[in-house]
Amino acid sequence: MKKVVFQPKVRYKLHPGYLAWILHRATGILLGVYLFLHIWVIHHLSQGEEAFNEVMAVVQSPLFHLMEIGLLATVVYHGLNGLRVVFIDYGNLAKRDIMRKVVYAVLAVSAVLVGAGAVPMLRLAFGL
Amino acid sequence: MLGKYFGSGRSGAFDWFFQRVSGVALLITLFLHFWVLHYATEGPVTYQKVMARMVSPAWKALDIAFLIFAVYHAMNGFKMIIDDYVHTPGVRAVLVGALWVVAIGFFGLGVLTIVTLKVQA
Repeated sequence: MKKVVFQPKVRYKLHPGYLAWILHRATGILLGVYLFLHIWVIHHLSQGEEAFNEVMAVVQSPLFHLMEIGLLATVVYHGLNGLRVVFIDYGNLAKRDIMRKVVYAVLAVSAVLVGAGAVPMLRLAFGL
Repeated sequence: MLGKYFGSGRSGAFDWFFQRVSGVALLITLFLHFWVLHYATEGPVTYQKVMARMVSPAWKALDIAFLIFAVYHAMNGFKMIIDDYVHTPGVRAVLVGALWVVAIGFFGLGVLTIVTLKVQA
């Protein structure tokens, strides 16, 4: 079989759309790894009350509540940017003059939602 | 040799389409998941609180659907990353195979957790 050689592109321009793609990929990897960890933690549910409450005590410490904010940010960004990708495919968000604005809109809406959603997690983390 | 089974054998159109379908489904289910577990209930998650919900077969069905969408979406996402960066057919086959094992394993663990709960109702 003929060996296919892929030439690396020398320079990439850091367009907002490219930045959004990098973030989408990075958050996607994090969420995939988190999903498998999450399934493993929650499977303690089938081992009875003691085992479940024990493992939940570990993952509901103040440090984990702060890390939950990071999880929220990862989920919110990946979800909203994913919706943007769907509208690139089915709508007109790939248009040159629109794409940049929508990337900024995704980042802005994400920031607002994460800011609002972080309040209960901060309260739990600091016991307020 | 293995390349043809993963490259030209399948168009990937279903993978592309269902990644969008599962993604939109996850937007809805994840919002519900976050709302119920972090915002609608006060304080830490405990066995009693989770079990109060898991008594209902509707919640179990929803959680299984949620699990299917999430595992498919994650696995297909990792598959796309492998397709993007791994060009050697043999290595690609090994990685995609490992991905199947991990995905089926964790999917099984998740389904077993939901199905075999000893619910004291």
